[in-house]
Amino acid sequence: MALIPHNTSQLEALRQDPALHESTYVHAVYDSIADHFSQTRYKPWPIIAAFLASLPPGSMGLDSGCGNGKYLPLDQDGKIMLVGMDRSLGLLAHAQRAGGKGREVLRGDALGVFWRHDAFDFAISIATIHHLSTPERRRQAVEALLRSVSVSHGRVLIYVWATEQDELSKRTIPEDPERKGKKAQDVFVPWQKAIGKGKEKGKEGGDQKQEVHQRYYHMFEKGELRGLVMQAAKSLELQVLEDAEDVKVPSVQIVQEGWERSNWYVELLLRAPA
Amino acid sequence: MVKLITHNLLCCHARGCNYPENFPLVFRDVTQLEVREADFNAEFLQKMMPRLEWTALVNTAKQLGDTSLPEEMPQGDAVDEGILKKLHHVLMEIHIEEGAMHCPKCDHKYPILQGIPNMLLAEHEIGR
Repeated sequence: MALIPHNTSQLEALRQDPALHESTYVHAVYDSIADHFSQTRYKPWPIIAAFLASLPPGSMGLDSGCGNGKYLPLDQDGKIMLVGMDRSLGLLAHAQRAGGKGREVLRGDALGVFWRHDAFDFAISIATIHHLSTPERRRQAVEALLRSVSVSHGRVLIYVWATEQDELSKRTIPEDPERKGKKAQDVFVPWQKAIGKGKEKGKEGGDQKQEVHQRYYHMFEKGELRGLVMQAAKSLELQVLEDAEDVKVPSVQIVQEGWERSNWYVELLLRAPA
Repeated sequence: MVKLITHNLLCCHARGCNYPENFPLVFRDVTQLEVREADFNAEFLQKMMPRLEWTALVNTAKQLGDTSLPEEMPQGDAVDEGILKKLHHVLMEIHIEEGAMHCPKCDHKYPILQGIPNMLLAEHEIGR
């Protein structure tokens, strides 16, 4: 399936009113496709499952952009707890009963910090920040995650879609109309849902009679996620650490980063002087 | 469903509101409150307890008609199964389904509909 790059007038519209662009091409779309989308999102990704399993009992976490809540049931038999937050009421209706149990969910957006000081022990942001349409808003989203967790031990895991897609991905990324030889980063990803008789099935691709919704994505290039973390850290006056050295000032340590199945990810740890 | 464990984390994010004056949010116009049994996990409660804002929790529970928690957070040996069971009930089993939460400073209203609080603010209302 080919992704569609933004043309000049779409890029202009995005830059003029990024919040409106996201409202039209992200929030409204997820509300329309919520039920179909939810049927296709149930398998947790391995690094995220391992991260959740590594948390000490009693940990409270935020799933920022929880979608249909597929990570909320991974609460390690009740030893940890996740609170789900999303913009889409349609998806929250699914998240609220993810895994067949009542879950704690709220409506909010990824730029908001409506948590008290020292609220969470960890936060995850899976496939969310790539729906924000400017570098400033993406940086603010990283800042919001860092501000939501404990300054002394908070852990943060972020996943975003990459311009580098593997052979398992059915997505092909076109060239950027404004940058020769580079892949487009601001794109529409079509969501096609079969309409009419028979079993309805939502997926990316397909060839039946379809209703198509265009979702906005910002595809991340190599190094871009780290760059965002550096900027967010600077804005919050946090020193960036590459390893577990002693800290003298409030710091954020990059615990691991990498590429997995067409996504870039980074795990962060907030640290404060003893 | 808003449980008190979640309420204990929330604060107002309107422009001009800062911690601690924007905390805790105050429940108002609660038209539907449900008590639902939840799985008891002593280890979770014991470990997360020190991370609670205890006074806010006790006062909020009182406003909702539950006076089972002591004014001071129990420490050491005082944290027995009896206290954990009470804490479990207050944190995990009381659900606010319909109503609102208001900021104690600016009175901004965050409505709760079908168990989902709406924490969104208009762009011009947000303080960053």
